[in-house]
Amino acid sequence: MASVSLRKITKRYKDTEVLHDVSLDIADREFMILVGPSGCGKSTLLRMIAGLEECTEGEIVIDGAIVNHLPPREREIAMVFQDYALYPHMTVEQNMSFGLRLRKLPKSQIDARVKDAANILQIQPLLKRKPSQLSGGQRQRVAIGRAIVRKPKVFLFDEPLSNLDAKLREEMRIEIAKLHQRLQTTIIYVTHDQVEAMTLGSRMAVVNGGRIQQMGPPEEVFCRPANRFVAGFIGSPTMNFVRGAFSDIGEGPRFKDDVMSVDLPPLVDGELRKALLDGKPRPAVLGVRPDDVYVMQTEPKDAALATVEVVELLGHRKNLHLKAGKGKLLATVDASFAGAPGDRVSIAFNPGRLHLFDEATQERIALEARTAPRQGAQPTA
Amino acid sequence: MNETDARAVYQKALKAHRFRERAALAAVHVGLVFYVLLSVYPLLRIFSVSLRPGDRIISTDLSLIPAGASFLSYMKVLHETNFLFWLWNSLIITCATSAIGVSLAAAAAYAFSRFRFPGHKTGLTLLLGNEMIPAAMLLLPLFLMIMKLGLINTYLGMIIAYSVTSLPFSIWILKGYYDTIPKSLEEAALVDGTTRFGAFIRIILPLSTPALAIAFLFNFTQAWNEYLVARVVLTDARMYTWTLGLFELQGQYLTQWGMFAAASILVTIPVLGVFLYSSKWLISGLTLGGVKG
Ligand SMILES: Nc1ncnc2c1ncn2[C@@H]1O[C@H](COP(=O)(O)OP(=O)(O)OP(=O)(O)O)[C@@H](O)[C@H]1O
Ligand SMILES: [Mg+2]
Repeated sequence: MASVSLRKITKRYKDTEVLHDVSLDIADREFMILVGPSGCGKSTLLRMIAGLEECTEGEIVIDGAIVNHLPPREREIAMVFQDYALYPHMTVEQNMSFGLRLRKLPKSQIDARVKDAANILQIQPLLKRKPSQLSGGQRQRVAIGRAIVRKPKVFLFDEPLSNLDAKLREEMRIEIAKLHQRLQTTIIYVTHDQVEAMTLGSRMAVVNGGRIQQMGPPEEVFCRPANRFVAGFIGSPTMNFVRGAFSDIGEGPRFKDDVMSVDLPPLVDGELRKALLDGKPRPAVLGVRPDDVYVMQTEPKDAALATVEVVELLGHRKNLHLKAGKGKLLATVDASFAGAPGDRVSIAFNPGRLHLFDEATQERIALEARTAPRQGAQPTA
Repeated sequence: MNETDARAVYQKALKAHRFRERAALAAVHVGLVFYVLLSVYPLLRIFSVSLRPGDRIISTDLSLIPAGASFLSYMKVLHETNFLFWLWNSLIITCATSAIGVSLAAAAAYAFSRFRFPGHKTGLTLLLGNEMIPAAMLLLPLFLMIMKLGLINTYLGMIIAYSVTSLPFSIWILKGYYDTIPKSLEEAALVDGTTRFGAFIRIILPLSTPALAIAFLFNFTQAWNEYLVARVVLTDARMYTWTLGLFELQGQYLTQWGMFAAASILVTIPVLGVFLYSSKWLISGLTLGGVKG
C-alpha cells in the first residue's frame, strides 16, 4: 500500500521523445487507469514505474521515497505482463512462489500465501501443472496470483486482458475489480479498452502522444472531455464531430455549419462571452454522442436535414448512419425506429450533452450544464 | 451407377491410396537403411580388425567376427602402451575445455543477445569470420601465443587453445537461442526480486538446455578428436592425448593395426556416453512465450 507520484517525467530513446513532461499523482489504494491509443507511451510509463526503463528526466516517488535509482527488485512492486511471462520451466506453484523463495521466506509462510492466492483465484487444482498445460484464462490467473502472493506496495497491470476472448475478458474484469476491493492495494492499470477504462478505475488518465490529456474520474472524463482527442477516444460508439463556427451576440451562443444551426447552452467563460459581442463567428467543432442525437420522421419534408444511409440493428438499439450536408452523423436510436435507408429525417440534440471545442486549440469550450427541452437543429437561415 | 457399384469403386480407390502410402513409406525406409549402413560400415570394419589376430588390416574375410577372434589387441593396448595415460590426459583436457568453453559462451552470448553496446555488430561478424579461417592457419599464431605464455606441454595451454577455438560457434548457437526467449520472462524475474545475473542463472539458463547441450557436445567432440594443435603444443610423451598416442602405434615400418583399431574403438566409448546422456537435454518439451496455448 503506497502512493505513487510521477514528477515531470520525460523519456527519450536516442532522439525520439516518447513521453513529455508527465506528472501524475496516484493516491494510496487508488485504482488508476492509464488509457490511450497504441504507441502513446502507456507501457513505457508503467515500465518506468517498475524500474525496467530509466527516466530520462523527472522523478518517480513511491510511498514518499524517490526510487529512480532503485532496481525493480527493491521497489516492492508487482507487475502482470501482457503476455503473462510465466516461467515455462516451473510449475504454477513454483511460478507463484518464485519471488517469495528469492526473499528467503520460511517455507510454511510461502505455502500459506500460495494457497491463499490459489484459493482467491480458484487455481488450486492447477498448482502442479506447467504453464504450457494451461488455457489462456488460467495463465492469466496464475500471472495475477504470482503478483498477489508478494503483497507488494503497488500492482502494475499492462493490458492484462488483451489476449483473452471477449467473454473471458468480461469475467476477469469483474474479478480484478473484486480483487482490488479485497486487497485494497494501489493499482496502476494500463489498457486501451474503453470498457475496462470506464468500469475498473476510480480515476483514469487519458494519454496521447506521450502527454496526459486529461485525468479524472471516469464519469468526469466521459461527460466533460477536456479536448477533442479525449472526446473522440472515450465513449463507444465514437462521438460525432461537426465542424462549423459559433457566435453569441448576447442572446445565447449559436453554432452553425453549412446545413444546420444549433442553439447552445450559455458559455461559462465571461471573457469569451464579452469578446464574442463583436459578432464575428469563431471556428469550432461541435461534439455530440450518438446517444444524444434524436432522429424524427418529419412532415413537412423541408425541415428534414439528414438522409438515412445505413441502418444497423444491434438488438434493442439501432445505429443510424446519417448524411447531413457534406457531413456524416451517427445516431443510436431505439430499435423500434422505423427509418429505412433513403428516408429524409430531421434531427435534434440533447442540449445538456453538447460539447464545443475550439477549432485551433482543440480544447473544450465550457458550456453551462442545463437540462432544457430538446434542441431542434434548424436549417441554416 | 447404383449404390453397391459406388461403394466398390470407393473401396478400390481407398486400397490404391493405402498402397501408394505404404510404398512411399517403404521407399523412405530403404533410403534411411542405406545411409545407416554407409555410416556404420567403417565402424564395423574397425571393430572386426580389432578382433583379428595379428596385424592384418587388409583381408578378404568380410565376416564381422573374424576366425580366431580375440581381445588380445585390447589387452595389448591397455597393458603394453600408455593408452590409459593418453585417455586420462584427453579426458581432463576435454572436460575442462567443455566446461570452460560453454560457460564463457553462455555468458558472452547473453551479452550479445540482450545488450546493445559499441562493437556489438562488429563483434558478431568477427566471430563468424573467425569460423571461416581454416584451423591450420590458426595453428602458428596459437602456438606462438601459448609458447609466450609458457604453457607448452601443459593442460592449461591445451584447454585455453581448445575452448577459445570453439567459442565463436558456441556463442552463435547460444545467442540464436537466447534471442527466442521473450524478454518479459527476465523482466518478470527482475520485478519478482532477482538481479540480472540471477535472472540469467534461474530463468535463461534452465530454458536454454537444448542449446547448451549442443554447445557442450560441440566443444567435447572438437577437443576429444583434435590432433593438430595437440601435435604442436604437446611434445612430452607423458602429456599426449589419445590422438597423439594412437599415431605412436603407427610404426615406421610396421603399424600395429590390431591395437590401433582396438584403441579407436575404446576412445569412442566416452563420446558415445556423452552423446547418449546429452540427448535427453536436447529434447525440450518446454514451449516458450506462453501467451497462446
Ligand atoms: N526501445 C525503444 N526505442 C525507440 N522507441 C521506442 C522503444 N520502445 C518504445 N518506443 C516507442 O515509444 C512509444 C511508446 O511505446 P509504448 O510501448 O509505451 O506504447 P503503448 O502505449 O504501450 O502502446 P500499446 O498499446 O501498443 O502497447 C512508441 O511510439 C514506441 O515506438
Ligand atoms: Mg503497451
